Amino acid sequence: MATIPVGATYRTSVSRVARRSYRLVAEIPAIPLAMLAILAFAAVSAPVLAPHSKLDPVKPTPGQCQAKFGMADCPYVDNVPPFWARGGTMDTPLGTDFLGRDVLSRLMHGARISLVVALTGTLFAGAIGTLLGVLAGYLGKWWDQVIMRVTDAWLTLPSLVFAILLSSVRGPGLWNVVVILALVFWSRYSRAVRGEVLALRERDFVRLAEINGIGKLRIIWRHLIPNVMNTVMVLFSLQVGVAVIIEASLSFLGVGVPPPEPSWGLMMAQERDSLMEGKWWLAVLPGICITMLVLSANMLGDWLRVRLDPQLRNR
Amino acid sequence: MTKGLLALAATLILLVTMCAAAAADKPILSGPLAKLDIKPAVIEGKKGTPKGTLTIAQHFGLDPGWLDPLEHIYALTMQTYDYLVHDAMIKPMPQGEFTYSLAEHAEMTADFLKAGFRLRPGLKFQDGQPLTTADVKWTYENFKGAHAKLFRDKLEHIQVVDDRTIIFHFKQPFLEFMDYYNGGVSGIGWIVPKHYYEKVGRDGFKAKPIGAGPYKFVSQQVGVQMEFEAWEDYWRRTPATKTIVVKGISQLAARVAGLQTGELDLAFGMTGKLLPRVMADKNLRWVPNFTSVWYLMFPGYNEPDSPFHDKRVRQAVSLAINRQFLSKQESQGIGPVWGNWVSPENRDALKADGKELPVPEYNPEKAKQVLAQTKYPNGFDFEWYVPFVPYIDMGERVVTDLRAVGIRGKIMQVEGPAFRAKIGQGRKGYPGNRTIVQNIDPRPGGAKASIGVYAVCGSPSSFICEPHIDELWAKHQASTKPEERDRLIKAIQKILIEDYHMVPMYWNPFVHAVGPRVLPEGKAFERYWDTLHAPYPWPWEVWEVKADR
Amino acid sequence: MRRYILVRALYSLITLWLLVTIIFAMVRLTGDPVLMKAEPGADAVYLAELRRQWGLDRALYWQYASFLGNLLQGNFGHSFEKSLPVRDIYFERLPNSLKLGFAAFIISIVLGVPLGMLSALKVNTWWDNIGKMIALIGLSMPGFFVGMVLIIVFGVELGWLPVLGKGSTIFVWGAPSTWLPFWFRDWPHLIMPAFALGWYFSGAMLRITRSGMLDVMGSDYIKLVRLKGVPERMVVAKHALKNSMIPVLTFAGLNLLIMVNVAVVIEVIFNWPGVGQLLYDGLSNRDFPMVQGVVLMSGLMIVVLNFTIDVLYGYVDPRIRLAR
Repeated sequence: MATIPVGATYRTSVSRVARRSYRLVAEIPAIPLAMLAILAFAAVSAPVLAPHSKLDPVKPTPGQCQAKFGMADCPYVDNVPPFWARGGTMDTPLGTDFLGRDVLSRLMHGARISLVVALTGTLFAGAIGTLLGVLAGYLGKWWDQVIMRVTDAWLTLPSLVFAILLSSVRGPGLWNVVVILALVFWSRYSRAVRGEVLALRERDFVRLAEINGIGKLRIIWRHLIPNVMNTVMVLFSLQVGVAVIIEASLSFLGVGVPPPEPSWGLMMAQERDSLMEGKWWLAVLPGICITMLVLSANMLGDWLRVRLDPQLRNR
Repeated sequence: MTKGLLALAATLILLVTMCAAAAADKPILSGPLAKLDIKPAVIEGKKGTPKGTLTIAQHFGLDPGWLDPLEHIYALTMQTYDYLVHDAMIKPMPQGEFTYSLAEHAEMTADFLKAGFRLRPGLKFQDGQPLTTADVKWTYENFKGAHAKLFRDKLEHIQVVDDRTIIFHFKQPFLEFMDYYNGGVSGIGWIVPKHYYEKVGRDGFKAKPIGAGPYKFVSQQVGVQMEFEAWEDYWRRTPATKTIVVKGISQLAARVAGLQTGELDLAFGMTGKLLPRVMADKNLRWVPNFTSVWYLMFPGYNEPDSPFHDKRVRQAVSLAINRQFLSKQESQGIGPVWGNWVSPENRDALKADGKELPVPEYNPEKAKQVLAQTKYPNGFDFEWYVPFVPYIDMGERVVTDLRAVGIRGKIMQVEGPAFRAKIGQGRKGYPGNRTIVQNIDPRPGGAKASIGVYAVCGSPSSFICEPHIDELWAKHQASTKPEERDRLIKAIQKILIEDYHMVPMYWNPFVHAVGPRVLPEGKAFERYWDTLHAPYPWPWEVWEVKADR
Repeated sequence: MRRYILVRALYSLITLWLLVTIIFAMVRLTGDPVLMKAEPGADAVYLAELRRQWGLDRALYWQYASFLGNLLQGNFGHSFEKSLPVRDIYFERLPNSLKLGFAAFIISIVLGVPLGMLSALKVNTWWDNIGKMIALIGLSMPGFFVGMVLIIVFGVELGWLPVLGKGSTIFVWGAPSTWLPFWFRDWPHLIMPAFALGWYFSGAMLRITRSGMLDVMGSDYIKLVRLKGVPERMVVAKHALKNSMIPVLTFAGLNLLIMVNVAVVIEVIFNWPGVGQLLYDGLSNRDFPMVQGVVLMSGLMIVVLNFTIDVLYGYVDPRIRLAR
């Protein structure tokens, strides 16, 4: 019957996607994958492997108290230098911050925050944007006009400015940042996806499905969405890097993840004053972590883009 | 001949001075008078030419609204600018908390129903127009800032006797009038030029104010910088410094760097991580300013589902804070641990040195024990800890101390005006009832001013609403006997501390630092901070700096 | 052509109107703005007067209408924190932002364009890889991190450059005629923030130059020129360069505007008094009229620029204007 070829298209498309994804995974470049793996491992294992608490100060030894404050006992010793500097210990390999907390543990937990916020935020954005883009492209007419005009208005503002505007409404908080990221970035997807759908709409398998009287929802779900996934994946991987930067910037400005949680951007903001004292590592280490994460996300995104779009080879 | 002339001149001068003295003492009001303790102004007259530039760093962004006394809500920071551009009838000076300025004489009847003032002869605004009682009346009538409702409600009418004499008539006895009319407490005593304000309007005045103070406003870059120039005709003395530049620099590191490179001469709010650096620099001098006390409040505590409803939970909070170490980290230990939240500079504030009120204790073990008896034996999560900005680091230290006994929360960062706006709404400024607010308020006007704002039911900024406190407060408001009032205010303070409504931490040394250009050299520069109740070094006309190269 | 311009203008207006509406809705969601003036001891009568003065006692649709009306007259409302009209403050700060943006723009071009060209000419060689790497790192390092590293190296360790933002000359800033002298007087203060801001964009410039250059080098036109026997150096200098610069310059123009508007973090770090700092102040003080004003101006600039670009492209390329 008429439905068979349609279902067949769907099945082949799934198996094609699966086979292609397998090949993709096998070919991912090693450097960004390794960086990402390290950070993801740190993030996942932080509760188990981090040497100290992310929020509580490291219990000092009496010798440290004596040396720092001339007191026999003290609640914490702040600004213990890292292992390579004089006075550093391997107990706190990267030293402690202004509250005597272990910098290494905080960085590991920071990876958790960055990854969770950026990934979920971008994922939500991708879901909203893809859906709206498909609707605009496929349903056309008023749907298209309304959605695309809103998308245009949304795209007008630079993402950081927009995120700041939203954060002034939402207030600080980890999940608020996720919401902000989703609200800022969806328009990037809807624009691209709509373009893709406009082309897909004219393709034979969609036409055939329409002729066979298949519902619009089913066409969207079965035919359009699977076929725009390439574009969405490329966009996703490129947006994750930007999302990490936006989260760090918001936290740096004091409107993102609230203290005492160890967000990297926040750690940099808090240790800004320490730069003058020559304790550069307190601000620079979180910065390096952010750069590593964004860099690996961008490299993967670039590679994906080239991989999925043959026109872009050599670019 | 010459001798004769000299003698004549001498007699004339003598006569004039005597007349002036007689005029100053000539009574304005009839009937028995209240005893007022207002110190005479020290007039130094023409004194050299102004020279040099003083560059000041305020520790947050500058608000042009500070230049307009009519809208002064919260007085203290704004007064830095009042003392520059404007002048008050009576204001705090090194001579005393009440010192004659524009007024040369003031009286109040014993029934507190009338207050009379006489202006100095020959007063002028900076544009050359005379300053008269019409300006005083206009300022009173158009004032919109702190206590405006009180001033408006109590007033019956204003009687302008002549250009220099004015009488305020009140409907009811206005006991606090002199306290609040004082330039140190509200903006209403700072006289604004009627003719100019009406001409340029609210925005125009904030963009370019004119006053009767020692410095003329020159220009501003909104939020960033203001420039002032000495007004050589100022009645009290010729200002010593030619140009004063104020910059708004909220970053501590930038202020310290500016002092060290010589871009700044005076910077406020040296604290925390970089205070040791300031202390160690041989080119810099620093001076602490013991203005007021850091304390915690619990908005919504009297709702039963608030964890802070239980007095023992608030006690555990107090016991959990390592105040000694906090002060060591934040102020290098200069700030003493203190057990009363009312600014200790107020005459009627209870001393918390172990005699009138206890020195608060640090005992995390006891805190856990106390907590174990409550609904929260294993601690609990509260929502937000809202520290006074820019003291976020301090907030994080307190939050870490609280975590150690199981009271866990996050920090909300809100900048100056937003923070004050939240505080100003009192309990309503904080949704939910699981929030801790860290505040400091060097509010002048006696302990009664602080209690009236924060600790009674009806106040817009009320955090504490307790019937037994309100009962005492009502008695206080009704009483006209100073001793009884004093006793009642002290009783309220005792309740607030013993029931842990307010959890004081330590007496804040608001450290300021100056660079090498500021004169006199050595320790003597500390005399600039002699004015009582002043967290900032007023008055400005006495500041001396080295001449520009 | 006229029809095309009209349609684009209509779209731009709709975009602006949507933007304004979104912002209005967001700002009103946050509650009663007058409470921002409710400091301890504030007078209820004064607050009521403010509420009346700002029209907040009227119905929401009326507020929206008056908000639109005020915007049309260029009235952005009063700043809560800075007590003056937002517009006046904004335009006082804008020259500083333009200055910083322009310096960053120059840095991004000086760094990005030659490297991008090199990368394109030596495609798939070591040079190319290095170029691609630089672009990636540029796009991956947050501006505030670059800023901090600069402060550490040049401000603290070497002590070469001032860290305090604009220097003592700032208050003399005033008439536009003084633009040039102060431009030069401020330059030590400008280097670090401009570099930190330009860094990100030089990565983007590098990429766009490289791909533009590759496009042109692979085109039939260049092949023809080569066939004619023109030496390779001339091919690049005279033909390829000229043609590949059009997209680069368009993009650079857009970048300049974006730089003016996204310099928030950089301006905060370096205490540079531009509009970004206004946005940050407005944000941290919950000064909504300020935030709203800065964001609107940023949107307005970009809408106008986009419109201009569309129209220019329409003139250059007839296919575009017919397709829409």
